[in-house]
Amino acid sequence: MIEGFRLGVFSRGTTLWDGLDFAFGDAAAWFVTGPPSSGKTLLLSILRGERRPDAGDVVVSGESLYRGNAALARAWRASCGHVPEQTIADARLTVGDLFRRSALAGGGVRESERKYRTDRLLEMVGLPGASGWRVAELSISERGRACLAAELLRGPKVLFCDCLVAGAGVLFWEMLWGLFRALAREGNTVILAERRIPERWALAAGNPEPVGPFRVYRLPDPAAEVKGEPG
Amino acid sequence: MSERPSLWWIDWRLSRGPLVQETIGRFLFFCLLGFALLSLLLSGGVSRILADRYAITAMLRAEVPSSEAEGLARKAAALPPVRSATYRDPEAAWEEFLRAYPGLGPVRGAGENPLPGYIEIRIRPDRLTGADVDLVVSSLRSVPLIEHVLAGEVWLPRLLRAGRLASRACWGIFGAFLACFFLVGRLQERARAVALAGDFSFLAERGVPSGRLAFFRAAGAAVSGFLLAAAGTAAGGGALFLFLRMFPFLEGVVGPPSDLLLPRTVAAAALFSCGAALLSAAASVLGWRAARPGRK
Repeated sequence: MIEGFRLGVFSRGTTLWDGLDFAFGDAAAWFVTGPPSSGKTLLLSILRGERRPDAGDVVVSGESLYRGNAALARAWRASCGHVPEQTIADARLTVGDLFRRSALAGGGVRESERKYRTDRLLEMVGLPGASGWRVAELSISERGRACLAAELLRGPKVLFCDCLVAGAGVLFWEMLWGLFRALAREGNTVILAERRIPERWALAAGNPEPVGPFRVYRLPDPAAEVKGEPG
Repeated sequence: MSERPSLWWIDWRLSRGPLVQETIGRFLFFCLLGFALLSLLLSGGVSRILADRYAITAMLRAEVPSSEAEGLARKAAALPPVRSATYRDPEAAWEEFLRAYPGLGPVRGAGENPLPGYIEIRIRPDRLTGADVDLVVSSLRSVPLIEHVLAGEVWLPRLLRAGRLASRACWGIFGAFLACFFLVGRLQERARAVALAGDFSFLAERGVPSGRLAFFRAAGAAVSGFLLAAAGTAAGGGALFLFLRMFPFLEGVVGPPSDLLLPRTVAAAALFSCGAALLSAAASVLGWRAARPGRK
């Protein structure tokens, strides 16, 4: 369980938001929507333990990320995957480099296993044989999917994705929909931050919980969807 | 994540191409430095040149028999600072005199050799100091069989001082090259840290402590610095060995090739490799600090 208590952020000379409470249960896919410049990226970095909130605290499994043990916060970050909103920061790398770097962060991934899993994951996100491609030559959609696959290489317990769905494009929504719910079914937590939720996803998720400028949806797990029960 | 990632050779894992170029460059530089270091160690700066040209001459009394003079030369050779002590009998001395001053043969007159025998004493290059020369001279002067000791006491201190200055200049130039290595290494490490800043912040965001990154980078730099310096010094030593074999006259300046394998030479090369490792690690840490990825 990831909980944010009375979270507040002071940014650009003003209070962006204050007193927000979040609760993201384990083994579920969560969808946070918010208008542009509402602080979605900031919220994700706070939840990942990267940026201390100006007010409030984040508690993961009962331990404070910012007021507790630094080693626990590091262990939390190590268990997280993060697909950032695409930038040109990794333009010099190849797709294979993204996987190599991800494996380095994870540790314990053998070279042969890494190569095998890289091929499988790239195929899964619709980029078969892209290992040698340069990131600079990829489209926004391809970059997002390549980063997602590289993060999945480590098998993160919690996956944070920033504007991944919008960037991936409509063609890949079905794939992502299935992937996120599969991850949730395997006990992982996925938190997505987007400007808007695809209509079909919103219908399946049911009524969102409004939290400040955000709307928080819980995507239904496959079993609930079959029964027609929105999550 | 139960396993901590191994960060050994992290730069190599993240950026092989530039690192290979840097490594080749450093190896070649260490070859040059190793060559210079071993040349300096063997030659002692300019000590070997001076020692080759400086000799103490102990003039014997006229009536000293050859057997006693040779015994005296052996005793002189046993003194710690002495490299060699050679007895020249009066006839050999006269021949040397004639070679130096041809045309003065009539001085000998009716067959009487006016020159006494003498002992030529040469000092070891590493013991050519005022104190050691004094030690030898005072030992010789106390011997009744010796009439005069010519040691150049008037000009020797100036010569030794000039020699010391020249040696220091040689070592200073070597130190300047070592400092250049450190500065260039620091710039290279900094440039690499900047180029890999995205990767390092990626790792930091995923729970890899920056301190561990810096430590393992420095440790990798130290190990590679040690190995490169050892390999470069060995290659430089090999080149020096070949030079000395090809041009034997250099032995008078540098020393015999066999000295390359003396324990003190090997120990000095090992010490140099350790120093290179420390400098490499320091360059890595300073380069990292200069280009430390900012955390939000």
